[in-house]
Amino acid sequence: MKLKSAGFNREFSLIAAIIIMVIVFSIIQPVYLSTGNLLDIMDQSVINGLLALGITYAIITGGIDLSVGSIFAIVIVVVGDLLVRGVDPVIAIVCGIGLGFLLGLFNGLLISKLKLQPFIATLGTMSAYRGVAYIITGGWPVLDIPANFRSIFNSKLFGSIPVSIFVLLAFAVVGHVILKYTKLGTYIYAIGGNEEATILSGVNVNRSKMLAYAISGTGAALAGMVLLARLGSGEPAAGQTYELNAIAAAAIGGASLAGGRGTMIGTLLGAILLSTLKVGLVVVGVDTFWQYIATGAIIVIAAYFEVIQDKVKKINFTKKKIA
Amino acid sequence: MKKGNKKLLVTSALAISLLITGCSSSTGGSGSSSDKSFNPDNADGKTYEEVRGSLGAVPMVSDEIKLGGVAKAFENEYWRTLKEGMETGAQKFSDQGYNLTVDMKSPQGESDEEGQLSIVKDMINKKYTALLLSPISDSNLVPGVESALEADIPVINVNDGIIKEAPNFVGPKADQNGELLAEWISEKIGGKGKVAIIVGMPKAFAARQRTLGFENWMKENAPDIKIAEKQNADWDRSKAKDIAATWIKKHSDLNAIFANNDTMALGAQEAVNESGRDILVVGVDGIGEAYDSIRKGEMDATIDSFPLYKGQIAVEMAIRQLGGQKLPRVIWTPQALIDSTNVETPAEEILKWTDPEISK
Repeated sequence: MKLKSAGFNREFSLIAAIIIMVIVFSIIQPVYLSTGNLLDIMDQSVINGLLALGITYAIITGGIDLSVGSIFAIVIVVVGDLLVRGVDPVIAIVCGIGLGFLLGLFNGLLISKLKLQPFIATLGTMSAYRGVAYIITGGWPVLDIPANFRSIFNSKLFGSIPVSIFVLLAFAVVGHVILKYTKLGTYIYAIGGNEEATILSGVNVNRSKMLAYAISGTGAALAGMVLLARLGSGEPAAGQTYELNAIAAAAIGGASLAGGRGTMIGTLLGAILLSTLKVGLVVVGVDTFWQYIATGAIIVIAAYFEVIQDKVKKINFTKKKIA
Repeated sequence: MKKGNKKLLVTSALAISLLITGCSSSTGGSGSSSDKSFNPDNADGKTYEEVRGSLGAVPMVSDEIKLGGVAKAFENEYWRTLKEGMETGAQKFSDQGYNLTVDMKSPQGESDEEGQLSIVKDMINKKYTALLLSPISDSNLVPGVESALEADIPVINVNDGIIKEAPNFVGPKADQNGELLAEWISEKIGGKGKVAIIVGMPKAFAARQRTLGFENWMKENAPDIKIAEKQNADWDRSKAKDIAATWIKKHSDLNAIFANNDTMALGAQEAVNESGRDILVVGVDGIGEAYDSIRKGEMDATIDSFPLYKGQIAVEMAIRQLGGQKLPRVIWTPQALIDSTNVETPAEEILKWTDPEISK
């Protein structure tokens, strides 16, 4: 109950923040409000959004997944290579998703079976996976991605909306259903809330954790394929530091790095908010160096809202107790 | 409360790290350090042909020569080609009777500044005869250079970044490629219109100088061309595409986009392709993918600084130094603008390349 209402508040205030931003940017630069530009905002949130939705699973369990940028790169070069060799795009996509899932599962294995701290385990795989991506191509980019693959993600539905936006939304919906309506979702929240208690109540914590990291890897895989379709070529160096933006989107969306808290809708809105800001700053023509400061400020403000929310809740709670 | 605190702490740590990145880059980008540090672009440099002319043939060295090259990052095609260039140079000289080998190494990516320094230190300990260094930042190899010079190991700074303490620099004039592209664009659009610049990592010397060269040329020679936009995309293709897409929607009359390297130019080209508009896209580096794109009629121009030949020139200059010749402080390596007119011309022909003469 408590979680639900907190989530609702957070999502409502995120939507309000996005609307305010759109209004402010449109006043400064009317072009901002054009349909093409608003679609661009959505479009530019897809890659970060997919990474962030995945990472939110890891964050809810009380962990983190720093390796998403490297999984992203491996999927890019492997799927790219398959396509260039003439593999059917649909088969290549299935392979890509499977690969992301397995690389994530391996992270989960290190964290659950070997009892490594998630930060350290995925710091390790971040580097190791990156190395694998470089080795696969010898450092060279994968070029000339076939048009039939590219059009799967790039073609427009309902007139002008790129398919990749629907990929993001579909992943968010599936992620949401798993979190809210399945046992796995309940366990993932429970592990983040109190791991000891969850173990004692007989839940297979290891399995749930492994799946959470596998879902994180799957998000990274989808993001990688969207990038591959978009650019028509893939580099093993792609996606460096993307994990930080993904963590930022999840944090703005209300995921707690202490675990037990976070939603797909929140993270999705967090990613959209970041790209609203990014596109806005570019349209208005703000110097890049100031853009770093703006992004940082937004993260701090979002975190502070959380603190205020907690305080209000606490006050209400004590009031009730006294009454 | 406890949970809230922890979250606040972690999130603000993340935010602060973003802030610090912003601040540290801005000091690098503002050029505030330029008066104190050495800028080869402003030095009285000599082209490698002038050096060959004034110093004559390459002296014969009978002792064993073990050259140590250190690149920024082999992840980047450019550095792998430079490595190939140095190896080609070494091969040519050993065919002529020199007892010469070259080892070129790179750290793990362009953020591994410490790792690069330890490669240099290792080469000093292993008593390499001369070092050819391309530092990640303007400062990370300084301690290595100092100890090399103490040990009487000659150091040549190849390409960017810049080591003020190194006695010689061999590389292209970075602001010149911005100038060449500005001139080319101005000619194509008739000296009038709107252009935009996508900048690389602000900490990189090349990014700053290329942008500066472009802007200055436009200011002095094409007052009717307006630089409407300028943003940095950290050498990242996807970021460059996103920024370009936004600009294309904002400016219905954008004529050209200049990206600080080919990777970003290729990203911008994707955005241009999607828009269906006719916007010139130019980059720098001359990577294979850019050549292909120009052949296909997509990207419009790039600047090739011929790393394959630059590597050979660096090896030649190191041998001249070891053979007792006195090199000028700054030696320019060649670069040329590549567009649809000369994309099929072999590099040797564009450069009028000849192997150096050797005195027997």
